[in-house]
Amino acid sequence: MRYKNLLALSCCAVLALGAAACGSDDSSPSSGGSSSSSTGGGAAKAGGTINGAGATFPAPVYQEWAARFKEEQGTTVNYQPIGSGGGIAQFSAGTVDFGATDSAMKPDEIATAEKKGSDPVHVPTVLGAVTVSYNVDGIDQGLKLDGETVADIFLGKIKKWNDPKIASQNSGAQLPATSITVCHRSDESGTTANFTSFLTDYSSAWKSGPGTDKSVKWPTGTGAKGNDGVAGCVKQTKGSVGYVEQAYALQNKFTTAAIKNKSGQYIEPSLQATSAAAQGVTPPEDLRFSTINSPNPQAYPISAVTFLLVWADACKAGENATQAKLVKNWLNYGLGAGQQVAPQLQYAPLPDNIKTKAQAKVDGLQCNGAAINGAS
Amino acid sequence: MSAVAQRSLRPVGPRRRRSDAIARGVVLAFTIVAIVPLVAILYWLVKEGLGAWSKSFFTTDPTGRFLGDPGGIRSAILGTIEMVALASIIAVPAGVGVALYLVEYGKLSRFANTVRYFVDVMTGVPSVVFGLFVYIVLVVTKVAGTFAAWKGAVALALLMLPVVIRSAEVVLNLVPNSLREAALALGAPRWKVIFRIVLPTALPGIVTGSLLAVARAAGETAPLLFTAAFVLGSSADLSQRMNSLPLQIFNDVGQAQDRLVQRAWGAALTLVVLVLLLTLIARLIQRRSKLSP
Amino acid sequence: MEAGSLTSRATVRGGRSIHERSPRSRAIDPLLKWFLSGLAALILVLIAFFFIRLFIEAKPAFDKFGYIGFVFDNSWVPSQQLYGALPLVVGTIITSAIALLLGVPVAIATALYITELAPNRVKAPLTVTVELLAAVPSVVYGLWGIAVLAPKLQPAEQWFSDTFSFLPLVGGQVSIPNYFIAGLILAIMIIPIVSAISREVMSTVPGDHKEAALALGATRWEMIKIAVLPYSRAGISGAAMLGLGRAIGETIAVTIVIGNAADIGSTIFSQGYTLAAVIANEFGEAASDPIHRAALIAAGLVLFVLTLIVNAIARYYVNRASRPASVPKGMAG
Repeated sequence: MRYKNLLALSCCAVLALGAAACGSDDSSPSSGGSSSSSTGGGAAKAGGTINGAGATFPAPVYQEWAARFKEEQGTTVNYQPIGSGGGIAQFSAGTVDFGATDSAMKPDEIATAEKKGSDPVHVPTVLGAVTVSYNVDGIDQGLKLDGETVADIFLGKIKKWNDPKIASQNSGAQLPATSITVCHRSDESGTTANFTSFLTDYSSAWKSGPGTDKSVKWPTGTGAKGNDGVAGCVKQTKGSVGYVEQAYALQNKFTTAAIKNKSGQYIEPSLQATSAAAQGVTPPEDLRFSTINSPNPQAYPISAVTFLLVWADACKAGENATQAKLVKNWLNYGLGAGQQVAPQLQYAPLPDNIKTKAQAKVDGLQCNGAAINGAS
Repeated sequence: MSAVAQRSLRPVGPRRRRSDAIARGVVLAFTIVAIVPLVAILYWLVKEGLGAWSKSFFTTDPTGRFLGDPGGIRSAILGTIEMVALASIIAVPAGVGVALYLVEYGKLSRFANTVRYFVDVMTGVPSVVFGLFVYIVLVVTKVAGTFAAWKGAVALALLMLPVVIRSAEVVLNLVPNSLREAALALGAPRWKVIFRIVLPTALPGIVTGSLLAVARAAGETAPLLFTAAFVLGSSADLSQRMNSLPLQIFNDVGQAQDRLVQRAWGAALTLVVLVLLLTLIARLIQRRSKLSP
Repeated sequence: MEAGSLTSRATVRGGRSIHERSPRSRAIDPLLKWFLSGLAALILVLIAFFFIRLFIEAKPAFDKFGYIGFVFDNSWVPSQQLYGALPLVVGTIITSAIALLLGVPVAIATALYITELAPNRVKAPLTVTVELLAAVPSVVYGLWGIAVLAPKLQPAEQWFSDTFSFLPLVGGQVSIPNYFIAGLILAIMIIPIVSAISREVMSTVPGDHKEAALALGATRWEMIKIAVLPYSRAGISGAAMLGLGRAIGETIAVTIVIGNAADIGSTIFSQGYTLAAVIANEFGEAASDPIHRAALIAAGLVLFVLTLIVNAIARYYVNRASRPASVPKGMAG
């Protein structure tokens, strides 16, 4: 019967296709925690796979690190940008090997995580700038905006681009009468937490209204998932304004605002301005700190530090020893070679004092009470 | 006689002719309106998606890199094939088995009717609820790891099961009873009648129904979100996360980068071609079979 | 059904009488029967397990907010541990209502055209074309919706919103992803299923009813009004309910085009949220928060129950339609 042959033929074709593609796959050895460890000298690659999830804010630099880390050590890092809230949740639930967040875990979140058997450790990695990006025909350069104005825009009190409050800070600029559409996050986001933290500092209306949190009740605007979603919203909607990390703004060639900082200077987001926000900061023992609204006169006021979340004792929290070792390798890469890569994407590396403390935390990571050995 | 019938007895005047023409015009217009989206979608798929197709599109994995090469969709295609294949291996034999029970043994008994009712219930369950169920039962409880491709396949199999059962039951019912009775009269045991006579006769119809179920499963996103999750690389390891075409498209949809959106279109075109091919093969088999519902 | 005495003298290979079967052969029959019955019973067990498990996992949310509170409280704010699903329920209802309003008439018209008005050559290709709409995966509908349909329709929506702002639920700023676009995409998605069942029902209209109408001098449209539509009314209602069930449960296409705002939008052009979309969007963030996860599962349960009810009503109507027809009203003598 002819259809039987047809069916057999198509099945074989599909299998052959699959086999051919799998066969030519020289990347990503299958995972499961088996790897040959490299002890000093690193002739053999470590291999293996680790899974991480969290903030979209640092996703560009983490994914660049992942690509280079893989070339160097053969380990595949699957990083899923699902937002800081998702990162904390997945990390606490133990469904990923490491989490990532731009907003330090709250005490109740830490309590939930501790039920896993170990304490979460915040390892700061890089700093980035939360830009106020907009897409308005007729405004081609950076507008000067202060915190209260930005808050009023996101509260929906300022409805048009030629509003007097904006015009008064930008004398000489031709502002069109376009309506403002706000783009914000619809998921739980560390970027939102940092942005709203800045707004709360400058606007009592914001403080008593939406407040500071990873997810707030937005009075107006369109919601989108992730920094990439907000970037998409800004790109697609004329007259829109949104808050996205600088890498996303640069990639999409958005016009970004110069924000007034604590010293009264209007600062554009830039690598130097972001780094300046971390200068002179003495972080607490658990390294849970924020660089929003820095007093440094050169600092961009909405600069945020971002963290990787790992377990103080990974094996007590349910990880196996090999995975713990690979995660430690990954952290060492981030605090080592990764710091040189970050500026290429306009993320500021950590200042030395913070980096030393972060490295100490990583060195202190344990598996069942013993230090994790063999990490390069 | 009713008013309408009374009116009808009179010769057709211009007013009735006009309302007839208008009504028929409206019906035709609505029918065209139904076709327009399909044409539009196919047009846009080809227009935007074909440009994304290239050799590297099909042979490289997505890299996830922000700058530089975003990669292709190889892991998505492989993942869909692997998970749908596993789902079919689970769902088709089980579904045909249940259909066999309903047709050969249960017939119109209370038990069989209850089973039929619940299979009907299953067809109406939204796919996201199936995914949620597998998430609660297999992923959260950490049965053999957290997210895994085989769990995604289980969710897809649950989706396919009622479709396979229903279509197989219809086809099995169409096998003429005379064939069964002739075989039984010759002394063949029941199981031989089923495996040597009934199944082979119904095979084209069963294959058609299964292929249609496969086509549906290949396009489902929601069940895979909570079970197989998303990953960039290809692998044959079903105990780990696995990429799939629908998830790859879902991830690329909201991106601001144009080339990622274009990759979504390319992946969408690939998926639609795959689904249409399966549907086409299914219909061809149906046409050639001797039994048609 | 053993072979009777007619063939009592027949033998098969080996000289055995066909009445005798080998013991192995004899054993397989009951084994097969029990195996297949077990498989069928497994389906029942599976569904029961399904429902029970969902309910157990959702219970914490119902315990905390109450059954009525969970469904009717208007505040879904995960960061403050508030899970009132009213915005989601309202969003589901609005998008499904739009889908029905737009999709069912088109589907009925298509079914009518194919069964009654189309030239014979066109019937098969047209049927296949409408069914192809069902083959398009929902994520592709979402992609097309957000990348093509929504931006292109926005000027028209804004015009409509400005011109008809006196109508309730219309007016104000139009958002690109909104209830209306979601409803429109859903309408397109339910056309194939509503059309297919309507077609089936309409094709069972007895030919003599139709011919009688035509013989009395009715025009084609009048014949449809007299003979086809009244006869098919139950079946078409069933088809529409099945379409509704599909629209309620659709997840991915909706979540891409609805804007995911957990508020009750003030117009049909605002953003909203549905029960299915919230599950897809938030389950990742709920991984370690038991109440959040319970709330999402509770939303799934509400969705499940809604589709169960709608489909049961649909089944009732479709079954009524397949019973022997009564004489349509217009033909009463």
